[in-house]
Amino acid sequence: MKAFSRRMIAIDRRIIFLLIALAVLLPLLNPFGLPIKVSPEVKAVYDYMDALPERSVFLLSFDFDPSSKPELEPQAVALLRHAFRKNLRVIAMTHWITGTGLADNVVAQVAAETGKARGKDYVFLGWAPGGYALIISMGQDLYKAFPSDYSKTPTLGMPVLEGVRNLRDVNYMVSLAAGGAGIEMWYVFGKDKYRFEMAGGATGVIAPGLYPFLRSGQINGLIGGLQGAAEYETLIGRKGMAVAGMDAQSATHFVIIVLVVLCNVFYFALRGDKGKQA
Amino acid sequence: MIFLKRQLPLAITFVMGVAFALQYYIPHPVSEEAITKVSDWMKIISGFALVLGIASVFHVHAVKIRRQAPGWGYSGVLFAAIAITMAVGFWSGGESKADGAQTAFGWLYDYTMVPLQGTMFSILAFFIASAAYRAFRARSPEASVLLVSAVVVMMGRVPLGQFLVPWTWNVTQWLLNVLNSAVRRAILIGVSMGSVGLSLKIILGKERSYLGGGKDQ
Repeated sequence: MKAFSRRMIAIDRRIIFLLIALAVLLPLLNPFGLPIKVSPEVKAVYDYMDALPERSVFLLSFDFDPSSKPELEPQAVALLRHAFRKNLRVIAMTHWITGTGLADNVVAQVAAETGKARGKDYVFLGWAPGGYALIISMGQDLYKAFPSDYSKTPTLGMPVLEGVRNLRDVNYMVSLAAGGAGIEMWYVFGKDKYRFEMAGGATGVIAPGLYPFLRSGQINGLIGGLQGAAEYETLIGRKGMAVAGMDAQSATHFVIIVLVVLCNVFYFALRGDKGKQA
Repeated sequence: MIFLKRQLPLAITFVMGVAFALQYYIPHPVSEEAITKVSDWMKIISGFALVLGIASVFHVHAVKIRRQAPGWGYSGVLFAAIAITMAVGFWSGGESKADGAQTAFGWLYDYTMVPLQGTMFSILAFFIASAAYRAFRARSPEASVLLVSAVVVMMGRVPLGQFLVPWTWNVTQWLLNVLNSAVRRAILIGVSMGSVGLSLKIILGKERSYLGGGKDQ
């Protein structure tokens, strides 16, 4: 047993890599489609969006780049589908320069699928430097912060921005964040100063760190990781990339749990041996 | 020179620090106009920070190549990638789409940047699994608590775990909303108090490391 435990603890990591690869691949090829439970924090985002009157202004900030695409793009797609279905006016933008092309593709793709027109139903403002300074600037005058959208069309006079002067005219805002320039920044320099309601969407890694903002009501909802995206897809009744990916995530979690349990069994077997020797 | 290098930056920092700390609490049009103007300045400075970043990357990797330090070939690849991206970017007029069609710059973004970054991030899953197998051991009571919590949360956050052990869902929600929130809040308050203290030190000129070194300091 001891020799076996020693061998297993020093197992070639390529075997672990292979197990993880199989845990990701097999459920994607043969999904088992277990039901998705919806958490109150995701439901809160859905409920707020759903209660907004038609043509309300919804601001979606893509504060991530392609490295977080698997987790945050499904969230963006689900939110946009919901917003367009509710006939909200969508303003999209990004604080991450490397996420600009990705954000533009996602917005254009969901808009095309729902028959929405650029400039009339939605606008993608693109990226501008400044981070928190940009938020303050948008809070003062949206048209000075973004004189034109990503496709170089002047923002002033766009039908989608009719009656919108600054962030005070935004009805709901969601920041999809993969790191520093995201939800906290939007709260501190945006919501707290210009008084609009907001929620956050984040990668699984940073979502637990945002719970204090959620519990204090600084954000009214939180979509965390692929699970959060899957919950939102379940709520809007349109299963997509997130629900499809949850089977792979389930299997991967289980492989890791089994590995951790086994590792501890071997560790205790060896530790008992060391104790006897002492 | 000492005035330009030391006294003037300290005076600007003091005046701007005090003025914009107060500005937050004054909802007067003059105050709002001031923050608008200064946020424009900050956006311009952020633009220069990008240039500074690029210059820094060039410097670090040029030194690596000149000294033929281990892995200097990767620095060569970096320069080649920057040169190609810039050339294609200028050629495409910085646009990823033109007349509805994808430009070469857009193609470069969609078919190199997106998959490369996605690959880098997804490789983490493999390394996390390997690291968890080797390091996640119940060596002490504290480590055991962490281990049990991690297993419960990993079960409770995925449909298979919720299906097999239904109570993990509720326990996970409680862990995230109560224990995790309380601890994170304590950390946040501590970090924020630290930030306030550091800001005061900078505004009052006690902390001067941002001025850089040199004989005149």
